[in-house]
Amino acid sequence: MEKKSFFASDSFRSVLASLISILAGMAVGAVIIAIVGFKDPSLGANSVWDGIRLVFGGLFSTGRDASGSLTWGFNSANMGNMLFRATPLIMTGLSVAMAYKTGLFNIGAPGQYLMGTMVSLIVALSIPSWVVPPQIIWFLAFFAGMVAGALWGMVAGAMKAFLNINEVLACIMTNWIAANLVTFVFDITAYKNVVENTKSGYIYKTSFNNVQTAKMGLDKIFAGSQINAGILVAILFAVGVYILMDKTTLGFQLKACGSNRHASRYAGIRDRRNIVLSMGIAGALSAGGAALYNLAGNTEFFWSTYQSLPAIGFNGIPVALLALCNPIGVIFAAMFMSMLSIAGLQLSNLTAYNEYITDVIISVIVYLSAFSLFIRTLLKNVGKKPETVNANAEPAPAPAPADEETVSSAAETAPGDPGEVTAPGQEANTEEGGTEE
Amino acid sequence: MDNSQDYVIEMLHITKVFPGIIANDDITLQLRRGEIHALLGENGAGKSTLMSVLFGLYQPEKGEIRKNGQKVVINDPNDATALGIGMVHQHFKLVEVFTVLENIILGAETTKMGFIQKAEARRKVEELSKKYGLSVDLDAKVEDITVGMQQRVEILKMLYRDNEILIFDEPTAVLTPQEIDELMKVMKNLVAEGKSILFISHKLNEIMAVSDRVSVLRKGKYIGTIETAGTTKQELSSMMVGRPVQLEIDKTPAQPKEEILKVENVCIKSHVHDRDAVHNVTFTVHAGEIVCLAGIDGNGQTEFIYGLSGLDKLSSGSITLCGEDISHATIRDKSKNMSHIPEDRHKHGLVLDFQLQENMVLQRFEESKFQHNGFIDRKAVREYSDRLIREYDVRSGQGSITVARSMSGGNQQKAIIAREIDRDKALIVAVQPTRGLDVGAIEFIHSQIVKERDRGKAVLLVSLELDEVMSLSDRILVMHNGEIVGELDPKKTNVQELGLYMAGAKHM
Repeated sequence: MEKKSFFASDSFRSVLASLISILAGMAVGAVIIAIVGFKDPSLGANSVWDGIRLVFGGLFSTGRDASGSLTWGFNSANMGNMLFRATPLIMTGLSVAMAYKTGLFNIGAPGQYLMGTMVSLIVALSIPSWVVPPQIIWFLAFFAGMVAGALWGMVAGAMKAFLNINEVLACIMTNWIAANLVTFVFDITAYKNVVENTKSGYIYKTSFNNVQTAKMGLDKIFAGSQINAGILVAILFAVGVYILMDKTTLGFQLKACGSNRHASRYAGIRDRRNIVLSMGIAGALSAGGAALYNLAGNTEFFWSTYQSLPAIGFNGIPVALLALCNPIGVIFAAMFMSMLSIAGLQLSNLTAYNEYITDVIISVIVYLSAFSLFIRTLLKNVGKKPETVNANAEPAPAPAPADEETVSSAAETAPGDPGEVTAPGQEANTEEGGTEE
Repeated sequence: MDNSQDYVIEMLHITKVFPGIIANDDITLQLRRGEIHALLGENGAGKSTLMSVLFGLYQPEKGEIRKNGQKVVINDPNDATALGIGMVHQHFKLVEVFTVLENIILGAETTKMGFIQKAEARRKVEELSKKYGLSVDLDAKVEDITVGMQQRVEILKMLYRDNEILIFDEPTAVLTPQEIDELMKVMKNLVAEGKSILFISHKLNEIMAVSDRVSVLRKGKYIGTIETAGTTKQELSSMMVGRPVQLEIDKTPAQPKEEILKVENVCIKSHVHDRDAVHNVTFTVHAGEIVCLAGIDGNGQTEFIYGLSGLDKLSSGSITLCGEDISHATIRDKSKNMSHIPEDRHKHGLVLDFQLQENMVLQRFEESKFQHNGFIDRKAVREYSDRLIREYDVRSGQGSITVARSMSGGNQQKAIIAREIDRDKALIVAVQPTRGLDVGAIEFIHSQIVKERDRGKAVLLVSLELDEVMSLSDRILVMHNGEIVGELDPKKTNVQELGLYMAGAKHM
């Protein structure tokens, strides 16, 4: 076994791939800023330069000085808000990443997020804080939210496990059921905010019941921001998911089922239970993100959600992709995404770019960022040359499987062939298809 | 050379390099007009690569291809077809819902103003089938005809396209003994009519029976070409493997002891049709014997094993293992006394994207040896896996941490065998344990199975390879249409009789 240098290692390549895609996304964002800036008479070269700098460094922008040029430095409010916004994203990102590692595409994060929101808000607002200490209520609400999300995720998981319904379909359906259910439930409850009636359509902040996430001194470090200890909880969850997936027998089973359900069944692993469980854990993570966000005390929930799904849920997907589904990577990917929204805010506050164009730019960056998997494959091919030299030293097996592949592909492309490819063991496949039911 | 005119196709000094491996190292293959030329080699010896070069799928780094002494360049499969080269693949490329005739003309239809001229095509196909003795029912749908007939359809496809050079890639893998004899006759007819045949195989019996010359490849290198008449199976196998190989299995007569497995009136529903896939199967397996379920593929063996191992449910009947009724037990409970070497190593045997060491503990990761409080003990797993790799000589790029997908088929199978045998259970179920493997690996696996039998294990073998059935088993049960139609003693029967039972022509 030869030692690869650090620069040829898989982890380095993964990080590099993510960084390259982020930079590519930001560069394209900068190009859009330039195009819009030069087209729009109210902007111009100076605005373009400011805009580009804000996209890359918005987090460290501190406004404009007397002469009107941008000033830079540590901006505690920006930094704290970035962490605050990253909190639920870490959780939904973990949800998608964890499910993905077990072979499931959890596009149901928004629905699970909504269920978590609904249950944690109801628990947080319905238990009187003069009877039960608010800290206890917070924990109850948090766990109730996670349980609700877990059950919601399990619905899609059970459909997949027992009825062979693709989890993507099941998730999309349950998303909209959740959206309508949440609207319906809040419509008939008494949690609609009627005190601050400048805003209509919102649920009470949990701080009305004295329930809010502890600050643990973070508000002192990041003065002027909304930050609370939720970010620490989210980071703890990321570490927890890493340990679960990498070190435990449960993670081993879940990954085995995701990677080859048939082999797992053969080995006596309960594949159906594991699929349900996997979606349950994913649901709990999404809902946990919802609870962390809504129990902050300073956030408001717009309850009429039946026409839209929460973006935080969907954004878990690019976060997970950008992190290549590594739980620790998810922390940084989520922070990057929330940094972009801070940069977007700065852009619309400090320049004449309107807020919609900043959304476009953010979307482009997110979109390109999700290409990291593709870029990693490219990097692998670039790095192939030196690796092969080592492989040469290994006298052992010739690449037999690859060899067989080529023959069958030869067959596919051979002219005059009907092109019907009979995969080896196809009979066994059809038979097995039946046993799944 | 003056006799170079005799060669219809020559591949001279072909070298094909893939990153990290020389797949073909200076290989020369010369096919004479009107001969059956066998290409012999283990898995990964470079046979497939060489054929891909001939079909224009790969461009060789060195060497040239000549047809009738003229240098030709083959850039893609269309060029190969234009040169009259055709191939019958191991897995047929037929459209199941089309008729035989439609399959034959597919892709080479004669049309007039966009309409297919079937009558004309039919005439040509009928002529060909008469000329070469290839009887097929032109109007039957491919899904309704036997595997042997499907193969004839494939051959007719090549003939219809006026191919002169016919390549047969492991053509006998799916045939009964009778069908194999039939195929051999057809091949001889074809060369008598002036076609030239390249016959890729690792079955020595067939090569000895049908070929004129044999070229042997080993690990990408050209070992030599010899006249079949002047060689022996022994010589060919040592050329192929690079060392003398024991072709006969060395085993003493079985000494069956107590009953381990008892199967009574087991029925299993088919998932494809309404009938039972397995019907009223009853037999026993004792400690210290190898019982073989023989039969043509698709006669209920796979379904029976699924039912036995718990991958599928029994619809009726009972199974007793070591005195315990396991008819409806879970897979994990059943595996308490049963090792199972599965038929499909990629589907059931391995999680291909897992490391070798993770695959080694696929059933056992919850044992206290490999985990503490739910946390996997990586060190214990690693040590265990390293030991199995050592004892069973499983070869891979990076040892225990190799990803299973990157290993060769033979070594993947060795890893599964190591895992299953080391679990040390009273019953070993081995389903086609040597499928697709080469002589060296087969020798090893057979000796392991016999060793386990001698240690007092009950072995239930399912095999489609007649040689294996005849040489390895102590008792043969023949399955046909989901039923056991015969019980034979390998010492008192022969391949012909076995074939008749397998084809359903003979009953108990």
